[in-house]
Amino acid sequence: MTNQTENLPLEENKYTFAAASDSVKEGEMIDIFLGKETVVLARVDGSVYAVDGICSHAYSEMVDGELEDHCLYCPLHFACFDIRDGSVLEGPAVTPLSVYDVMEQDGSIWIKALDIYGE
Amino acid sequence: MTNSAETIMIIGAGIAGIHAAEALRNEEYEGRIVLIDRDTELPYDRPPLSKEFMLGESTETDIALHTQENLEELQIDLKLGVEIVLIDSEKQSAVLSDGETINWDKLLLTTGSSLRRLPIQGSDLEGVHYLKTLSDAKAIRGNLDDIQQIAIVGAGFIGAELASSFKKLGKEVTLLERAPLPLAHILGDEMGEYFLQMHQAEGVEAIMEDTVVQFNGETQVEEVLTEKGKTIPCQAVIVGVGVIPNTALLDKELQIDRGYIVNEFGETSLPNVYAAGDCAMWPFLGNNIHIEHWDHAINHGKCVAKNMLGGEQTSYSTVPYFWSDQYDYRLQYFGHTKNWETTVLRGNVEDKEFSYFYLNKSNVIEAALLVNQPKNALAVRRLINQQKPVVPELLPNTDIKLKECMYVEVD
Repeated sequence: MTNQTENLPLEENKYTFAAASDSVKEGEMIDIFLGKETVVLARVDGSVYAVDGICSHAYSEMVDGELEDHCLYCPLHFACFDIRDGSVLEGPAVTPLSVYDVMEQDGSIWIKALDIYGE
Repeated sequence: MTNSAETIMIIGAGIAGIHAAEALRNEEYEGRIVLIDRDTELPYDRPPLSKEFMLGESTETDIALHTQENLEELQIDLKLGVEIVLIDSEKQSAVLSDGETINWDKLLLTTGSSLRRLPIQGSDLEGVHYLKTLSDAKAIRGNLDDIQQIAIVGAGFIGAELASSFKKLGKEVTLLERAPLPLAHILGDEMGEYFLQMHQAEGVEAIMEDTVVQFNGETQVEEVLTEKGKTIPCQAVIVGVGVIPNTALLDKELQIDRGYIVNEFGETSLPNVYAAGDCAMWPFLGNNIHIEHWDHAINHGKCVAKNMLGGEQTSYSTVPYFWSDQYDYRLQYFGHTKNWETTVLRGNVEDKEFSYFYLNKSNVIEAALLVNQPKNALAVRRLINQQKPVVPELLPNTDIKLKECMYVEVD
């Protein structure tokens, strides 16, 4: 992945290439793997959001859940999170999902991956 | 919204009780909440006990549902290690084992269930365990290092999850079951056979259609004897042979079947007395059923608690659901059925990724089992919730979306 992102200004700002823009369609989500982390990318009303791909409540891959507008439902215990800021909209989860800064530029989606790779 | 001089007493701080108490506060109930439990531990989550906690992957702190500070913030008056000595349903009061008398305006019974015990010789030997509470789980974990062979009595969900955990920990596991196949009474023979083979493929010695008659040993269990004459050497036994609802309180006054009988709002046959979770029997699609699962306990507890506040009454109709993690299988089961007419498989059994539907005579999906297919979970839940017929011939075709399998009348 570093080969693709070398010398790009976004990378200097600690952004990492996440996916091609056209791989995340409106109202849909995909998951990507960065380091040891799973990240869900979703597009709602044109904007791409990136949140932790594993539910904050119990081990469950969020990409197997459902996205309804900005509500992201976990497929295991049906907790619901706001994809925009990771906040819990419905239990049983109590901890928000981590969110990542997203930049979309020239057909590519970048996320600020400080939390993943460290400073 | 409510009189702050009111008291709601909740008996049982398991998953239903704690969620009910939280729901009351979320609904801005301002009165007193007294939550009572005979357990001495702060409320915790039970599902991990047989899995992550048993494997040492999660700790006591991880499975805690609340800290003392949380509960104080919520103004929940939690009384642990206390039994109910007497309830007077006319005076609406209760005497506790610590001598206190509580006058309640509304009472919620979330007394849960108790494990069925095996009344056989040797049951009191060291190393014979049951798993219900955190202290049970700690007792089992405490000696695990010295144990190589474990016998599990009962191939239900707890037994199967423990078999999986112990195999992961490198133990030799024997799984004993009275029925010819595991879980067949819930999932049917075809799936029973499937899960039997799963255990065998994972290296578990599965003994079906046999009954445990005795545990042998000096002070510590050393072997299990079965009716058909088998002797299974072991250093620990875990018994998981089902549960019985706790209905000793108010048993003379309340209608009880397999649990306190409640209506769709959670009301018992006594005014101001409600019940929810494992200890209740409630109407689902015209039948009174009992569900002893986590998801139900949460949803039922919350719904009944809201109804106790006397506002708009919501009838409880959540599709029953449970999940189970065994080896590298994630099982999810939606709905409730006893007498299905047909079953339909969608997906491939060999791939360990499939959905298995239980249909009634009218081709309505009454229940579904998902194996490693969480992607289908929410769609299947909706299908069952709709209670409308599907076209069974379409279900196996994975090119057709689940929602497109609905039967559509043509004019």
